[in-house]
Amino acid sequence: MLGSYPKGAYASAKNVEGCPDGKLQAIWGLGNQLFAFSGSTPDTRSKGRPAENRVSSDICDVRWNTEMHTFITRKLVNETHNVFVMLQGQVASSTGSNLQSQMVMSSKQYRAILKACSMELMHMAETCEDSDERESCEDQLQIFEMIQLIWGFCQILFIEVTPDGLLLNQLLDWIKWHFTDGKRLAVDILHDEVPAEHPAYWEAIFRLLLQGEVDSVRKLLSLNNSNQNEAFLSVDELLRKMPQWAHYHHALSAAEFDMKWRHWRDECQRRLEEGHYAAFPNLETLVMVLCGDENVFTEMKDMCGSWYHLLVSKMLYQNPTVRAPDLHYHAEACMEEFSLSGTRIGELDNILLAAIQFDIHQVIKDSSAFLSTGSWWFVSHFTDLLHHCGQLDTQNLAYGSNLREFLLLEYASSLMSHKSLWQVGIDYLDYCSVFGRTYITQFINHMSLDNEKKAHKLLHICEERNMQEEVQTICKVMGMKSLRRGKLGAALSWFLRSRDVTATSKLTERLIMEYSKTGQFEYTDILDNLGPAMFLSNRLTFLVKYREFHKLYESGETNKAASLLLSLLEARLAPRTFWITLFKDATPLLESEKVIFNSGQTYVLMHCLEELRHELDAKTDISQKLTDMEKDKLDLLQLCLTRNLSKAIKAEGTVKTS
Amino acid sequence: MFRSSGSKTFPMAHEDLIHDVKYDFHGKRMASCSSDHSVKIWDCDEEDQWNCTAAWKAHSGSVWRVTWCHPEFGQVIATCSFDRTAAIWEELLGEQSREGKQSHWVRRTSLVDSRTSVTDVKFAPRHLGLLLATCSADCVVRIYEAHDVMNLSQWSLQHEIQCGLSCSCLAWNPSMFRSHLPMIAVGSDDPSPTAGGKVHIYEYSDANRKWRKVEIISMVTDSVHDLAFAPNFGKSYHILAVASKDLSLFSIKPIGNLGKEPVSAGAISKFDMHRIAEFTEHDSKVWRVSWNVFGTVLCSSGDDGCVRLWKANYMGSWKCIEVMRGNGKRSEQQLEPKTTIVTASNNQNIRLPPPGIMNIKRNSGWPSFSTNADKGKLYY
Repeated sequence: MLGSYPKGAYASAKNVEGCPDGKLQAIWGLGNQLFAFSGSTPDTRSKGRPAENRVSSDICDVRWNTEMHTFITRKLVNETHNVFVMLQGQVASSTGSNLQSQMVMSSKQYRAILKACSMELMHMAETCEDSDERESCEDQLQIFEMIQLIWGFCQILFIEVTPDGLLLNQLLDWIKWHFTDGKRLAVDILHDEVPAEHPAYWEAIFRLLLQGEVDSVRKLLSLNNSNQNEAFLSVDELLRKMPQWAHYHHALSAAEFDMKWRHWRDECQRRLEEGHYAAFPNLETLVMVLCGDENVFTEMKDMCGSWYHLLVSKMLYQNPTVRAPDLHYHAEACMEEFSLSGTRIGELDNILLAAIQFDIHQVIKDSSAFLSTGSWWFVSHFTDLLHHCGQLDTQNLAYGSNLREFLLLEYASSLMSHKSLWQVGIDYLDYCSVFGRTYITQFINHMSLDNEKKAHKLLHICEERNMQEEVQTICKVMGMKSLRRGKLGAALSWFLRSRDVTATSKLTERLIMEYSKTGQFEYTDILDNLGPAMFLSNRLTFLVKYREFHKLYESGETNKAASLLLSLLEARLAPRTFWITLFKDATPLLESEKVIFNSGQTYVLMHCLEELRHELDAKTDISQKLTDMEKDKLDLLQLCLTRNLSKAIKAEGTVKTS
Repeated sequence: MFRSSGSKTFPMAHEDLIHDVKYDFHGKRMASCSSDHSVKIWDCDEEDQWNCTAAWKAHSGSVWRVTWCHPEFGQVIATCSFDRTAAIWEELLGEQSREGKQSHWVRRTSLVDSRTSVTDVKFAPRHLGLLLATCSADCVVRIYEAHDVMNLSQWSLQHEIQCGLSCSCLAWNPSMFRSHLPMIAVGSDDPSPTAGGKVHIYEYSDANRKWRKVEIISMVTDSVHDLAFAPNFGKSYHILAVASKDLSLFSIKPIGNLGKEPVSAGAISKFDMHRIAEFTEHDSKVWRVSWNVFGTVLCSSGDDGCVRLWKANYMGSWKCIEVMRGNGKRSEQQLEPKTTIVTASNNQNIRLPPPGIMNIKRNSGWPSFSTNADKGKLYY
């Protein structure tokens, strides 16, 4: 099953209701979004309207790389994200063999998550009713199966490297994990009423034998009717005595093992030549396998199903102490075996072959081209792992990044288009030292601010990374949004946060205008709790102080209120048009029986009034904004001021004499 | 759940050729313009469906291009037209827009300085402020500025750049790095090859307060239809895609002031420029180029009716990674893969596309990405 190729590997057709006309055009949207439409480009040479042929003007919204957005694959993204982040932490904190074992662990974790994901996909493919959906499940499943195969193999070669360089045991485990037909057959046979009569009885035995499952083979043989025959007993003894690495736990040196093994094989050879098994051709074949007979492997290659299975089986019986660097000599022979019988050598084979040849870059390159249909999940995580294992020469790119970062950036940006996975993408970008930060900036800038919650989330991300400029932009955009919806209070607080003076001033003016119209303060909760933020804009300072004045006035602290009002006028903080309102507010204070404005303060007020009148006479645009009635009020105010002045002088005189 | 990965089609209902379609900054809104003099605004709702929320007659001639302003300035677009004007439109604030799904756009201003068709219009990158560049067939690029970002009805013409050639398109360099001066590339559709290079590059000098021509790409002598700078991520060079007789990519590298302060007053910046890729795959005129957000994938469309996607591998070599066809025919025999165990149960079930599909052929490029298979659904 693994020797074949997934659909869509060569040509993937997307059924999109397309444009009937040939002139297809496209524009990038955000992330993986592309708009295709039929149209033309401005041709300034033509005289105005192009030809009157009416073209159907449909638009296609085409999306790319959405494989990682499905329910199941999302789990893969989220769970491997944790492993990734943990691994980066360990790389930073531990060294040497400790780190090495962490790498192996991470590699296994990645694979375990992928396996779990495959199982779910398989389950879904089985239960799914919709044929389209099932098909895409199956496509995905196949890709995942291949990734597991490659990853398992590369882990043996590059990550979990044994100190003595022997790798047969691991290879056997790898083969057993991915080729399970033999085991499945064996189970069927064991459940059969007459196991030895089962048509696949010998096939199961051979398949298991090729994977080194000696105990299972012995068990199956013991079910045979002639199991008490001498030939069977002899084979059983050979199998029992077969030296196996796993039994020695590396207590033996390779040379010692090799000796034991040769001894054992000579024994097999001897018994075979003496014709112990001549009466049982199947047993004879079996012992020939044990002897590592070249021809018998050729016969059995179909049971292996692939050259790499054949390779491992051959090594098991021909050369169990083979070391990684020598593997590729043997691999070529096995591949030839298969290509002679007409099997096409495909991408997967090439990837594995490149791995055997220790050409890691080729492995990554081919995997990128072949397996990243839809996502960079595999190559990015895998390359990161290899990078930390020191297997990649840190070849820098023209603009100062490396292969690991290149792939991580691709993976992270492929997550950007999803409505929740983008947060995972950001964490990956954090570990890209060269371009990560600028990518995050770009990410954030293009994130749509659908609601406050999302905006706060983004702000949090920016603040964690000390991205001041982005914080300001987000606040500004949110401010404009609130403003458009007429939520002035929210808009004000956003603008304040973005420290945007112009926008804040403009907005404050609107609030002031609204007050002059209605006489009611709105958004008092914000205004009363601004603190030092009010100094961002003069207008805002004024508004806050003015509001304070009203509070003082209402609570009866007239003296304080009066001096605050005065200082507002004196500091020229208020817009001119608003002075009238301020004077109006002053009137009741002037008219009260107690003297509130002393003579000095009254002079200041009179001075301000004169200034206003002067400007009105100068016919500036302010005068047009004032109604005649308001102008009359100024005269009235003049009177109030004079009366207050006399009152104040009198009172001040009185105080002195008493 | 796999359906979400599909693509969808919706009718634009323009009565004539569509000239331009643009996403807004966040990819949630879209504007389209057409020869029928109108502009339409499309919004993406929660269910990922595109709905037309506004449509109006914007000009009295074909509307060539539409462009979105950064959202921090509000919901603003600019259009340009054969009627010799460019216009700025803003979505109305307040109640009208909240009621129902329709939004209202008002013309904030008309820019009437050109005496000929205005062929392109682009807002400057946000960090330069609220600037708008237009170019027109009368060989002039005009830069306008809004002095008060809260009041978009007042724009003043800041600069007029005489290009000497009829302009067809322009592009701002989006680089946000302070060491890069504001830059504009202008393309000309002058058909005469003797008129010299058809892409001019201008740079703004703060000291002189002037735009000055710093480079002419003399390698491009055929008329240019579109230009686009790739977003710059702190690379030492800019990449400019040029759609002309074929597709070219140029790298433009400032010399001498790398990472330093902008060049001293008065001096003209120098550039090291070379063509990093030239593609003739379209085999005909290339009309349009567009970069993705990260500047890693370029999409181009040409007279051959194909849309092609281009991507550089990590060594910087560019390759075509996808081809989309809109001719409604399966152009190439699809290679049916071998039957596999997982699909053995239903390998007869080869899906036949509905009539009028768009084919996407995947080329072997590296590194590459591809589309998900067959998810077409009709949505109307």
